[in-house]
Amino acid sequence: MTETFNADKETFMGVPRKKIPWWPEIDYNKCNFCMECDKFCPHNVYERTENQEKKLIVKNPYNCVVFCRACAKACAPDALKFPDKRETTQLIKKLRTDSTGDS
Amino acid sequence: MEENTICVLPCNGLDKSLGVVAREVALKVIDKASEIKLICPVLLNSGDDNYEQLLKSSKLILIDGCVTRCATKLAEERDIKPFMKIQVPDLAKKFKIKPCKDLNLDEDNKNLVELISDLIIAELKSTKEVKEVETRKFDEIDYFEITVDKFYFRVPKEGYFFNENDCWIKPEGNTALLGITDYLQNAASDILFVDFPEISVEVEQFDDVGSFESTKTVLQLISPGTGSIIAVNKKLENNPELMNQDPYQTGWFVELELKNFEEDVDLLMDGPKYFEYMKDKILKEKDHLDNLKGE
Repeated sequence: MTETFNADKETFMGVPRKKIPWWPEIDYNKCNFCMECDKFCPHNVYERTENQEKKLIVKNPYNCVVFCRACAKACAPDALKFPDKRETTQLIKKLRTDSTGDS
Repeated sequence: MEENTICVLPCNGLDKSLGVVAREVALKVIDKASEIKLICPVLLNSGDDNYEQLLKSSKLILIDGCVTRCATKLAEERDIKPFMKIQVPDLAKKFKIKPCKDLNLDEDNKNLVELISDLIIAELKSTKEVKEVETRKFDEIDYFEITVDKFYFRVPKEGYFFNENDCWIKPEGNTALLGITDYLQNAASDILFVDFPEISVEVEQFDDVGSFESTKTVLQLISPGTGSIIAVNKKLENNPELMNQDPYQTGWFVELELKNFEEDVDLLMDGPKYFEYMKDKILKEKDHLDNLKGE
């Protein structure tokens, strides 16, 4: 399948997407591999890995939409964690200020 | 048939333990309120005239055990809007109850059945009171417009601010209305159900402030502003299609009392900027789809 976008070129609020560490982390102690998150996510963030111990991984972290946590809502065992939103907002503000300073 | 008959349609999902909870909740509800009629999803799916008649003439409670939303889909196929909708995973999280590993419900999950059925009965009592729906007045606004394939997108030229999650905020003094943009409503397609936050909940910029469900998916609204929820658009409970038809005005979602909009606005776009951002996004997606067709 063609990639929806090239993560290297993507920006979020004027900041390169790759500088923003926002994606779900799977807690494998809780995950029961029901795959509801993968069924939900339209951005191809997850990948199912048949015949592996971890049957689901975060394959394309930078495809994840910054601040979106909708897959966590679909997760019944509450196995998905996202970064702290406030810290992410602060980071974005800082990166934006830094880049204005550069130019 | 009486017009105020209530029926309950669970997903009956024997695929996951929360599906079993959905089924047990339905059984518990008819046990607690014998006037409520139970609809078997499997029989409904294979075609049953009595059920079809019942559905047409009564208020429907849907209970789904996972986001596949089998019960919801059965109702959608029949163009029936639910009167109440229960998502068991949301409530399991709310009551901090872990789903069972297999289909046998443990004590916690039996308790969850009890809690949800009580919630439904309590909700039924409260919705018997007629809720007044206020009507807000809106002035005509100027839009930027673009049509791509069969989709028509608009963005208000002024007065609105947007985040990159395709939600808008319209500040007026120290309060603001919030909603979704044409991009998000087109992406979602027909919106069928809304889930509001509680009044007076504190919201930070980029927190989610509720969700909505369409024929395609469940999506969250990500708040462009910081403040507390002072109103929700009750009209959407009966007319969720307003979010599709008029997303910037009568289809507003919640109202916030703003805390520090001057700071919020640093990370928002105005109308002209958001229109460019949205256009880029739409055209990129169109290219992507055209490429897929070409492959």
